[in-house]
Amino acid sequence: MSTQVLSNESVKKESVEIEESRSLWGEAWHRLKKDKVAMTCLIIVCLYSLIGLLSALGLVAADWAKEVGPSYAPPFENWDYILGTDIFGRDVLKKVIHGTQIAMSVGLISSLIAIPIGVVLGALAGYFGGWVDEIIVWFYTTFSSIPGIILLMSIAFVLGKGITTVYIALGLTSWVGLCRLIRGEVMKHKNREYVQAAGALGAGHGRKLFKHILPNVTHIIIIFTSLQFQVAIKSEVILSYIGLGVSGQPSWGTMIDDAKMELARDVWWQLAGATFAMFFVVLAFNILGDALRDALDPKLKGKG
Amino acid sequence: MSDILLSIKDLCVDFNTGDGIVRAVNNISFDVPAGKTVGLVGESGSGKSVTSLAAMGLIPNPPGKITGGEILFKGKDLVKASEEEMRRIRGKEISMIFQEPMTSLNPVFRVGDQVSEILMLHMGMTKKQAWARSVELLDQVGIPDPQRSALKYPHEMSGGQKQRVVIAIAIACEPKLLIADEPTTALDVTIQKQVLDLMFDLQEKYKMGLLFITHDLGVIADIADDVVVMYRSNLVEQGDTKKIFTAAGHPYTKGLLACRPALDKNPKRLLTVSDFMDESGAEISLDESKTKKVDKVYNPSEEKNPVLLEVNNLHVDFPIKGGVFGRTVDQFKAVNSVSFKLRKGMTLGLVGESGCGKTTLGRSILRLIEPTQGQVLYNGIDLTKLDKKQLRDMRSKVQIIFQDPYSSLNPRMTIEEVLLEPMLLHNIGGSKEERISKAKWLMEKVGLKSNQLSRYPHEFSGGQRQRICIARALAVNPEFIICDESVSALDVSVQAQVLNLLLDLQAEFGLTYIFISHDLSVVNFISDEVAVMKSGEVVELDTASNVYLKPEKQYTKDLLSAIPKGIPKALLAEQNL
Amino acid sequence: MSGNLNYIIRRLLYLIPVLLGVCGLVFLLFNVVAGDPTMLLLGKHADAQQMADLKAQLGLDKSLIAQYFDIVKSAFTFDFGRSWATKQQITEMLYQGAIPSLTLTIPGFFISTVMSLMIAIFVAYYRGKGIDLFIRTLAIALMSTSSLVYILVFQKYLAFELGLFEISGYEYGFPSFIPYIALPVVIWVVMSIGPDVRFYRTLILDEIYQDYVRTARAKGLSEKKILFKHVLRNALIPVITYTVVNLPFLILGALLLESFFSIPGLGGLTLSAVNASDFPVIKAMAILSAIAYILFTLVSDILYTLVDPRVKLN
Repeated sequence: MSTQVLSNESVKKESVEIEESRSLWGEAWHRLKKDKVAMTCLIIVCLYSLIGLLSALGLVAADWAKEVGPSYAPPFENWDYILGTDIFGRDVLKKVIHGTQIAMSVGLISSLIAIPIGVVLGALAGYFGGWVDEIIVWFYTTFSSIPGIILLMSIAFVLGKGITTVYIALGLTSWVGLCRLIRGEVMKHKNREYVQAAGALGAGHGRKLFKHILPNVTHIIIIFTSLQFQVAIKSEVILSYIGLGVSGQPSWGTMIDDAKMELARDVWWQLAGATFAMFFVVLAFNILGDALRDALDPKLKGKG
Repeated sequence: MSDILLSIKDLCVDFNTGDGIVRAVNNISFDVPAGKTVGLVGESGSGKSVTSLAAMGLIPNPPGKITGGEILFKGKDLVKASEEEMRRIRGKEISMIFQEPMTSLNPVFRVGDQVSEILMLHMGMTKKQAWARSVELLDQVGIPDPQRSALKYPHEMSGGQKQRVVIAIAIACEPKLLIADEPTTALDVTIQKQVLDLMFDLQEKYKMGLLFITHDLGVIADIADDVVVMYRSNLVEQGDTKKIFTAAGHPYTKGLLACRPALDKNPKRLLTVSDFMDESGAEISLDESKTKKVDKVYNPSEEKNPVLLEVNNLHVDFPIKGGVFGRTVDQFKAVNSVSFKLRKGMTLGLVGESGCGKTTLGRSILRLIEPTQGQVLYNGIDLTKLDKKQLRDMRSKVQIIFQDPYSSLNPRMTIEEVLLEPMLLHNIGGSKEERISKAKWLMEKVGLKSNQLSRYPHEFSGGQRQRICIARALAVNPEFIICDESVSALDVSVQAQVLNLLLDLQAEFGLTYIFISHDLSVVNFISDEVAVMKSGEVVELDTASNVYLKPEKQYTKDLLSAIPKGIPKALLAEQNL
Repeated sequence: MSGNLNYIIRRLLYLIPVLLGVCGLVFLLFNVVAGDPTMLLLGKHADAQQMADLKAQLGLDKSLIAQYFDIVKSAFTFDFGRSWATKQQITEMLYQGAIPSLTLTIPGFFISTVMSLMIAIFVAYYRGKGIDLFIRTLAIALMSTSSLVYILVFQKYLAFELGLFEISGYEYGFPSFIPYIALPVVIWVVMSIGPDVRFYRTLILDEIYQDYVRTARAKGLSEKKILFKHVLRNALIPVITYTVVNLPFLILGALLLESFFSIPGLGGLTLSAVNASDFPVIKAMAILSAIAYILFTLVSDILYTLVDPRVKLN
């Protein structure tokens, strides 16, 4: 619409004069910084990451397995175990903290598995088209034809219980969405005039793909990662319930799963602890994902 | 003195962009008399569209807001009118036609229903009455077989037909005022003429006031009684059309009138707004020598202008797939048996309407699209036979500049990276320092500042980006450049500057151009020879002056006669007396 | 319309390579990676002879290629053999499980879709206003809690404490199943309303910024009429296709809900198969749901041409 063009143009004119040159990433960060809610979410995510990291380094909650009080001590009664204790008298707060480590690592590692697969296959399919595209599309159609939960269960089942299984199962079931997005975006950029211009200047496939197209689709990877974290964290809970999740150490999933038995005895604090811990970080990732989409994809601006 | 239908007084509109408030329309006042046509002219960002939306009460709020002034329609202030009151006026008393005919109609409703809807809303007709009237209206706007066409969906119609349907909707309730916002800009020139004629007939018939918004002074001259000129949110000049065209007062208007190439003779370089006005907007005296129009001469010499490019019987076919297994069932001949020769240092203009194959032809010469058969001899070497390596080397000789200044630069690369990449690919310049100094030199050659190398494309305007694209093409020291609609997306005043730049570079480096455009006057200005294309074939090929002054083929004549003459009606009437 | 027929035939043929792929994936997981199932079935103390016998009985002594073709054959004949755990015909089990699943998922799906759509239209109308922000925030909040938590808390407090619903169980036949599915349906709606409202709202807002909406405004139509007539009609196109593509997941059932409320549906069946290491049942579920998925994608494409006059299949 012409009004939009107009306002953008006038802003552009001013910014060229006043401000230092800023890349698209810089622009996106500038936009994001102004979004107070999104920045709060970013801080929450950083905080959780920090707790997860400290726990992984053994600096906090390393002694979660220690019996600190009586079995099922209710919360807010003793400073030593402020969130109460579980059946074995272990501190629920420490379990929540250790669960943070598990949750963040599940999000991170499953993303690290999904991203290379999704990006490589998506980029190849989108860029080369033809039979390469057909094979890759067939491959991911195969994957996506089996409902996610069944595939997740099957993979987790054949690999056996344990945290590694959770990483792999979640990684292997979540690359398809990313692959599809990347493929579509690469196809779109392939026909943009700047890529054609690079071709006319004598750039080969590698240069066109890596130097020109991929930097223009990386925002999709960032948005994907933000959303993958929350999907992974929620899936970990389901896997734990099915009995294919983490074993031998506390996670939010196992804590919520424990509540199956505990609620009948009116022991609600493990459930509440894990649920609230999970709620804030998943909420933050959700909102952050939306904000990133708005900030990194300027053409969607004003449409939310 | 006729009745004043619409009177805009001291109108101000602000937009909140998130980075601050931008004034889109600043304190403007003008009138639209009943039954007359007022042309509102301006380039992108001038505030002309915002003004028209304000009159309709359609400024998107937020971010936009009318912050001052009045819009008096038949004496009633629309700024103060409630949404409820505005709804009764919109479509019934004031109608609007928009620029994009392709998207202006709802894709899932039949066009008959879309016309009927407004009749049922404002005229209290029953569904049956409204449908019958819709068919009449479609007939009136020149839709063939209106009975059956009313049953069609928008996607089953051409762009011109869709715009006719939009017009039928706009005039359905016989409004007193019709606002048309660039209604023909997206259409081919022959269709544009038909749609303009239609609007004019309807205006006469229904005695409507018409506010016609456009960037094209040629169109304005043909149809408007009065002209209002806007520039950077301000109204700079208004008056009757004849006066504006013969004795414009404001330097911007003078510049706008002068920068548009004519169909007959032109100065050697086009005048631009900056010949009339400096950065601050103050008038500067015009260097009269620049206005002298010259005849085109085409006399290439055999030793200075040898044949550089020879295209023989070139075909490009696109397969049409069908059947269960997606076999190729037919070929679409995008380029059909095209042959021509182009001499060194000369420019061949390639004109035609959308879909005629001119872009495909340009890209197939560079082998960005593979030709199906035929020869492209460049300096005697057949480009269609080159292998990958040879083709890559050849890419330093032949270059292309695209249409869209927004998508033809990689948004994540700085201008330095953009300009260095071609040199890197072809090993031009020994060291990084040498390349950077060449990049700086290139920036200055295309009229930009050399200290802007660290900037990103989005920090430049459309015209500046197109200059960067030219610099990128020049970075490999090419001999031959294809300009594919390279100035079509630019405002007229910027267009003139870029055209001048292309001519300067041609003179300095002895470049050879193929200039592809749908715009006949631009092609006339820049080309030595012109090829007119239709349905993949070249229908006429001759020197520019022959094609424009003595066209032989009927198609060329039709194209030329469809171009707005740019001479006001009043003036034409006087001349004919 | 021969183009459409060709397209449908082509899509049906495409089912073959995809199904071969699905079989390959299932084969890879259960016949190659999973290891020896006889150990799981017979326990650690089984002797070699017993294990060999069982292998032969299950067809696992054949070459890997032959095992793959057994899977492919089952996919095309719908004969998945017998369950290792219950020794029943799997086709029979699935048939019995489908009915309780559908009695839960169809009402759940129907209610949540209609409600989400209505809320989405409502917030789209008030876009940018306080109520829009509030409902969007609520939707994200609802999405940020694990579905398991909803099940646990609702069952505990609504069914057990307040006695508003049956705690668990199932009875066949209408209308006796209704009390048993009531709470699971409520939970289903709570779980799906957040993402659905957000998604539908985006679809509707995508349309609101189109040029034809501006034309409709210029006609003098009211904002309500524009939303309900012009915008909704266009936004429904992606809504319908999205919904249809997701229908197979209804047949699959609500895995967690069924298992938790002891509803003998397909979801619960699958979960118990996982717990019992019942390979053939898991395999059958994977293959059947893949077939359903591909068929419904096709149906969705065909529907697309019916609701959107622009689309011609090719």
